[in-house]
Amino acid sequence: MNIFLKDIDNDRLVTWDFLIDDINNTSIYNPYCKSADYYNVFKQIILSLLIDEEIILLDSDFTESELINLTGCSDYTEFNKHIEKSKAPNLSDKRELLEKLSNSSKNWKITMFTSGTTGIPKKVSHNFKSIARFVKVSERNEKSIWGFAYNPTHMAGIQVFFQALLNGNSIIRLFGLDTKDIYTEIKNNGITHISATPTFYRLLLPYNETFPSVERITSGGEKFNEKTFKQLNQVFPNAKVTNVYASTEAGTLFASQNDIFSVRPEYESLINIENNELLIHSSLMGSTETNIDEWYNTGDVIEIVSKKPLKFRFVNRKSEMINVGGYKVNPLEVEEAILTLTGINNVRVYSKSNSVLGNIICCEVVANSNQITESSIRALLQSKIQEFKIPRIIRFVDELSTTRTGKLKRN
Amino acid sequence: MQEKILEIMNTVLENRTKEKLTSVTPEMHLRNDIGFDSLDLAELTVRIEAEYDIDIFEDGIVNTVGEILEKLETK
Repeated sequence: MNIFLKDIDNDRLVTWDFLIDDINNTSIYNPYCKSADYYNVFKQIILSLLIDEEIILLDSDFTESELINLTGCSDYTEFNKHIEKSKAPNLSDKRELLEKLSNSSKNWKITMFTSGTTGIPKKVSHNFKSIARFVKVSERNEKSIWGFAYNPTHMAGIQVFFQALLNGNSIIRLFGLDTKDIYTEIKNNGITHISATPTFYRLLLPYNETFPSVERITSGGEKFNEKTFKQLNQVFPNAKVTNVYASTEAGTLFASQNDIFSVRPEYESLINIENNELLIHSSLMGSTETNIDEWYNTGDVIEIVSKKPLKFRFVNRKSEMINVGGYKVNPLEVEEAILTLTGINNVRVYSKSNSVLGNIICCEVVANSNQITESSIRALLQSKIQEFKIPRIIRFVDELSTTRTGKLKRN
Repeated sequence: MQEKILEIMNTVLENRTKEKLTSVTPEMHLRNDIGFDSLDLAELTVRIEAEYDIDIFEDGIVNTVGEILEKLETK
């Protein structure tokens, strides 16, 4: 059987033939895509490419107030439209689908939302060229079977999806499953490639079995530690482990076998370093609503290992974004949400390092009523922001700790 | 100690507006039986660390209540 997607959490086992029939029989398209069913998301992306229309990805767990903030509404049915006859895909088989996908899309763009530095998530759009920049289509990749371990509406998930899609591979969902089910899926489907956050791998380890089918393991987001690395090698003895550096704005930029990253010669002129901070050229970026300068400052501080060829190591992030298990959280956005609750005078959101998620969100709160409790704040926040943004530890204080300059202290 | 762990787990569950437990037993699985996700496990480790000064996930993931108790008793 030629599987396109297997997702046991949504009870989906979809073949390429089913996908093609389903696309051929679809007459309505909506540019807004919000679904917890991976198949719906993937099908809608493919359809958007074939009919050359924009697609806007929304996390399935966005709250109503987040949706209104981001898009101005929370009900998207009015955006349904009929697909024009001349644009209808009418695919005959998988080969035709893959051909059309790689030659499509003058107007197509994909839009996602990422935590902005101002507290309001910002819109980032990519065209086909910038999404496919790091997709490698080759005969060698034809037989790959992907373990899908990211949220499908985030940049990392989209990149894995396109790598698998354009090579005609099978995608097996692993994200959000129990450890036991993840290993069962790897084994039963003979998964060869997995790309995930370090948190995903950490939650799988240690484990007393080996999975020889896995050839390649990719990790990005936070730093991998030595212990996780060793345990991974035991469970996946045939896998080559690669780290990638990627962002929603630019997609995957660099890859490395260890913590030293090198730059491909064709990108060397598009990378700049100023005061040890990494700048990337605007031509590598997706488009955002705000104008960007010629050089975009990633906020990442690096240490140069060699100048020619350029090699470097990441030291830390200068920005205040908190990485929670691979999700970036902007403390300002969380503070704004908490300040909208009644009875709160002031709040400071900060991070604490954590062995499960890398970091967790904490906050100090100055409350003006003793009716307010940790659980009442958390319950109220559930309707305002996504679960991973909600502080896990809330301390009640009389006044917030500030730095000498009067700024709120984050760490 | 089991009582204290139950209390900490219930704080985590209550904070997520999930149903509280009436008792815990060593064989209970943190994810499958109690229903913790990775965010809950992260919070659990912080709360246990605050109480016992031990990071239960430092050497990799633990799966059951019994494994937590073991970590706390051997320290």
